[in-house]
Amino acid sequence: MTDYACQRTPASRALVPPLPVAVFFVLAAALASLLWGAGPVGAVEALQVMTGQGSEEARFVVMELRLPRLATAMATGLALAIAGALLQALTRNPLAEPGLLGVSGGSAFAVTLAILLGASSATMTTLVAQAGALAGCALVMLATRSRGLAADPVRLVLAGATVTGLLLSLTSVMMLADQRAADEVRFWITGSIAGTSLADLVAVLPSMAVAGVLVVIVASPLAALSLGERAAMGLGHRPGRIRALVVVAVALLVGGATALAGPLVFAGLVVPFIARALAGPDIRKTLWLCLPIGPGMILVADTLARVIGAPAELPLGVITAMLGAPVLLIIVRSRRMPAL
Amino acid sequence: MQTSFIHCVRQGLVAGLAMLAISQNALAETRTIETLYGDVTVEGQPERVVTLYEGALDSAIAVGVQPVGAIITRGGQHVASYIREAAGDIAIVGAPGETNLEAVLALQPDLILATRQTSRDQYELLSQMAPTIVLDVPLFRQDTWKQELAGFARALGREGQANDVIARVGHRAEEVREQVTGSIPQQQRDTSLVRWMPQGPLVMSEGLFSATVLASAGFEVEDGGIVKEGRPHSQPLSQENLTLMDQEWIFLATINDDGREALDAARQSPAFKRLKAHSNDRVVPVDGHLWTSASGPLAALAILDDIENALSQQP
Repeated sequence: MTDYACQRTPASRALVPPLPVAVFFVLAAALASLLWGAGPVGAVEALQVMTGQGSEEARFVVMELRLPRLATAMATGLALAIAGALLQALTRNPLAEPGLLGVSGGSAFAVTLAILLGASSATMTTLVAQAGALAGCALVMLATRSRGLAADPVRLVLAGATVTGLLLSLTSVMMLADQRAADEVRFWITGSIAGTSLADLVAVLPSMAVAGVLVVIVASPLAALSLGERAAMGLGHRPGRIRALVVVAVALLVGGATALAGPLVFAGLVVPFIARALAGPDIRKTLWLCLPIGPGMILVADTLARVIGAPAELPLGVITAMLGAPVLLIIVRSRRMPAL
Repeated sequence: MQTSFIHCVRQGLVAGLAMLAISQNALAETRTIETLYGDVTVEGQPERVVTLYEGALDSAIAVGVQPVGAIITRGGQHVASYIREAAGDIAIVGAPGETNLEAVLALQPDLILATRQTSRDQYELLSQMAPTIVLDVPLFRQDTWKQELAGFARALGREGQANDVIARVGHRAEEVREQVTGSIPQQQRDTSLVRWMPQGPLVMSEGLFSATVLASAGFEVEDGGIVKEGRPHSQPLSQENLTLMDQEWIFLATINDDGREALDAARQSPAFKRLKAHSNDRVVPVDGHLWTSASGPLAALAILDDIENALSQQP
């Protein structure tokens, strides 16, 4: 551990320029998400509430509706960004993204199955979503072992899209079979954090904390692994164990985020992409930058979802997809696919 | 020309002959019904009627015809529970907007009663199986169901029964209206009709069938102007905009069998707790199939029963 601490210092020192900017970005996004929404409470009124004034109605909207959403959005964004960065480092594929690879799909499938079997989406345990995510991760790891997939990032995404498509169609079949499930799942499946309570968030936090510890443990070995298996083993790491830990961390993070917000695609792609563009390929630097950028992106997306859709709201998943799809195209079209 | 001639003959018989003669005449009668896709001729008394619209099923049963096939209620597994018993052993031939044409054909219908939303392509296919009635009745109006009932009853050769049924519903509505106006002051009769989703409510249009029944019973249904033109069924609403639906009463449609469960779930939401109707204890859970999908005279009677029940449970 002391060895690890020594490595961390130069890494974070090198980050001084982008990190403050990213932190400023997330603070601005957080403020915006409190100031604007789908309702009549605008920026001026919201500011009054924050300074202890404002009408009772405005106070309710800002404190009881927007503030819990802010917290949920930040947790979701954080989890998806970190999971994306880990998955990309693990598969050495800049396109590896939980939503694209079927990890979120597995999670959504498990949740729908649980609702079909009698659970209610309100009381749904995070555990179900995480178990589904773990199964999805296992499928991804299996796919990377088949010939050619590991070498070609786009083919892995194709395989993931196939798995996602299969899982989504199975989910649809279940929704057809049971209309009650359909009704509960329909809103959730497109991704939304409207109406989530702090209780939902609290239910997810313990597993997020466990995932956080795992991330701290694997960050350094994962960076070593990017130098090659031999090099990592030479440095005293055990690749098999590192991979297993990363998979568990990704499953906990994606499952938690999916339980909160439904299966969101592209968030885990865009955020690490930006982080790498700013900080270079070292996974430790990327992870540091993901901490503010991930929550910031989901906050921006959620605020847009509310403002564009008023008096209703657009599903958050629609906005993240609109923000994320162009980034995917940029990466795929760039002549030199960045290798990890 | 031929039709009007026969019509004249029929009029003469009705005037001059006994009941028996009338029913015999009805067997040979030919009627022309104006529909969205032109005039459709129906002969005699159809016996194998397939209804591809919940309002048509309701209307047919109300005038004493037992259809052989119907579609499921929106979001349900079978026809809506209020009419399940009356519909008896009926074959299911699809869902709203998704007709299983082969199932319809297998029933060998001699009359098909379809929804206003039936496309011309679909109509062409259906009318090859049997005369198909797609009424050209404007939807989401106060008297939509009456016009539909009249049109379907005419196709079924039972216009007389239709008038009786309309009178019966009117009488019942008047009865409930007297109770409503007698027990609730006028400024407390505003209500909204919603489905509560965790992400926010789905506000139902003022023109929805059950909303018109509520209006006939003396309630003032408000959708806060948020259900837009061209989207006449319902509109989702952000939790931030709940004041738009905050009326004295809320009829809360649930599609679970257990309305209480849905109500309990809604009550856990801090936004729901702020609603006027909640603090007044005037949130009435109602069957979503009956209240947001069905239409027709029997549905009206069932909705009026629900309203009466809700009143009796008021302190």
